[in-house]
Amino acid sequence: MRHGKPVASFDSTTGMLRALARFLDGRDTPLIGQADGALEAPALALLAGANRLPLRAKQFLYAASGWSEAIPAAKAAEVRSSDLARHVIDHYPRRRYPVVFVGSSNGALVHLAAALGAPWLPQTLLIPVRRRKGHPDDATADLHHLQPSGEALLAANPDLTLHHMHDANQDRLMIAGMSYFRVKWHRLPEVYREFLTSSLAPGAALVVVECTQDWPTTRVGERYLFQHGALGGATPDEFRYGSGRVTEYLARLGSPYTRWPAPEPDGRSPEAEWGFDPALLADLEELADQKGWHLSRLRFSNPEHLSFAVADLYRRWYADRGIPTNRLLVESFLLVEPWWTLRSGSVPYWMVFNTDPSHTALSDYLDASDPYDEIRMTLFSHGVNSVGLAPIESWQRAIGRARKVGSFVGVDPDAYPRDFAVFARAHRALSRIRARYPMPIPLTLAAAHHLVQEDAGRHNIAWDLGRQK
Amino acid sequence: VCVHGAGVSSREFCPLVMALGRDHDAWTVDLPGYGRSGWTVDLPGHGRSGRPRVTVSLPALADALADWLKAVGLVDPCLLGVSYGCQITIDTALRYPDRVGSLVLVGPTADPAVRSLPRLTVRWLWNAMYENPRMLPLNIADYRDAGGRHVFTAFQESIRDRVEDKLPYVTQPTLVIRGAKDRIVPQEWAEEVTRLLPHGRLATVPNSPHMVPFRASDELGLIIQDFLRDHEGAG
Repeated sequence: MRHGKPVASFDSTTGMLRALARFLDGRDTPLIGQADGALEAPALALLAGANRLPLRAKQFLYAASGWSEAIPAAKAAEVRSSDLARHVIDHYPRRRYPVVFVGSSNGALVHLAAALGAPWLPQTLLIPVRRRKGHPDDATADLHHLQPSGEALLAANPDLTLHHMHDANQDRLMIAGMSYFRVKWHRLPEVYREFLTSSLAPGAALVVVECTQDWPTTRVGERYLFQHGALGGATPDEFRYGSGRVTEYLARLGSPYTRWPAPEPDGRSPEAEWGFDPALLADLEELADQKGWHLSRLRFSNPEHLSFAVADLYRRWYADRGIPTNRLLVESFLLVEPWWTLRSGSVPYWMVFNTDPSHTALSDYLDASDPYDEIRMTLFSHGVNSVGLAPIESWQRAIGRARKVGSFVGVDPDAYPRDFAVFARAHRALSRIRARYPMPIPLTLAAAHHLVQEDAGRHNIAWDLGRQK
Repeated sequence: VCVHGAGVSSREFCPLVMALGRDHDAWTVDLPGYGRSGWTVDLPGHGRSGRPRVTVSLPALADALADWLKAVGLVDPCLLGVSYGCQITIDTALRYPDRVGSLVLVGPTADPAVRSLPRLTVRWLWNAMYENPRMLPLNIADYRDAGGRHVFTAFQESIRDRVEDKLPYVTQPTLVIRGAKDRIVPQEWAEEVTRLLPHGRLATVPNSPHMVPFRASDELGLIIQDFLRDHEGAG
């Protein structure tokens, strides 16, 4: 199997990984880091052309682009945890870092790590696996057909836990022909251990990012969990029992189902995409103890709680640097751009997705903050009007709260949520902002912690800086 | 008070004046048939105002506008500029602040990134592909009335004027409006104009090219009415 191949490049973790690694290498992230910046113009022309295709053709192209990255089910047993870990660390420039983050995927974390000039080693990666049978609205069938592949993958990789995930709401197009295997390391892989040892000096800090967001799951095996649904627009109860808007959504798609059949949950587990499995903590503590690193723990119960804190951190940091603090950049899902965020002097606020709950959280942040003169916003497009997706008018009202300039960054409001050109346009629009600022030197961990603590009363995060082990 | 762009005249304002005239107490000056519904002015060298012997500089146009405002005796009027007309209204607002209540800048020129005639021409031609074809006869009539020399001078004046240096000193509330398909005024320049204005705010009109008053007069009218309501007494 080709090195790194099983990992999905369209996933949040890999998108964030690319953006942060490129930032640490002094580069921005055109085309969501998938191709060279020189290809931005032709790619944009191509994607803008795809935007004009009939609905079914657009949906087919979107699904096919994801499917092309999935591995055949029979190959799941050939996936090796060490290859996955090497795939991650190969992104980063090799040098000494004062801080390394390990743990949950999070767009706000990318900005925090960028501010500190630190890499982040994700606990979770997505392995898409092809599935020939089973209707996308039938989660039970997904588990039934792919369970042998999942078990084979786990048998070959004792350091992984499998979160087999099926979200027929937001991933409806993607899961038509494939299944989502999200794997989490519950033991520290040797490749990560080597990277940390060679990158962190004694006295440096290892920050564990622990998002405690959980979700109802069905235990299939000792290390095998099945998660029906995911954090987003629909609630766990809507996935389990259905609802008026679920029925309406399924009818709109022409589905034969009125609710989603799925295995009954028998417990709650760390959310497949964003949650942190605390089983990894023991190895990290032991290693930090051996090497004399500070072990810092950054905990929050919802991914967007960190967005609030990091936005405040950036605003205070800009004020300390004497640059304007009146420009907000709202990012969505994997559309994160740390390099242009800093060059444009933007305060980053990251949303899990373009859903109603994310819209409410953003509104709460704006209500609680001094007004912004400029609000820019990127919106990820996943191709369907899923349950709980906030309509474009809601986002227009949100950017309308800017005192001077409220604008979408690369988003075509008429095409949303089927605006595939946004993947190329967002970066281009950001890079064209006229007023720019020099790239700052990285913050120290203590300075970043201090900036966050100054507004501690506003945040729902717990950041323990830790003592040297 | 609507101020036209380079080489063209108040003809292009017909649809907007009709839209604004529904709710606002305003007059037309040179557009017979629409009654008391809005002010439009043809500046020297443009439209049917008669060709002066010498070409007219931007400050002279601003002076002419200020003189006209004084003569008519409008109190705190809202000046609406389109394209090059924005530069004229900005110059007027800066040098005659007591004669101007507020500004509306629709498609403000000139983007410093295209400060050359060839580049501006390319953008102008690119934008023309998106304009309403029904505007073409009006443009031809306007360019014929103004004459090639005046049109050329107006474009030159637009490029020569360093409007970005003036914007931070505009004290009046200002609404900047851009058509989402405007190829002469890119989004980043419209944002920069707004950022530089102490009391600026940006609005975007969807699916409209540069000549928003002609292409999307109703939407533009609503946006302007909201702005005027917010700044009552300054418009």
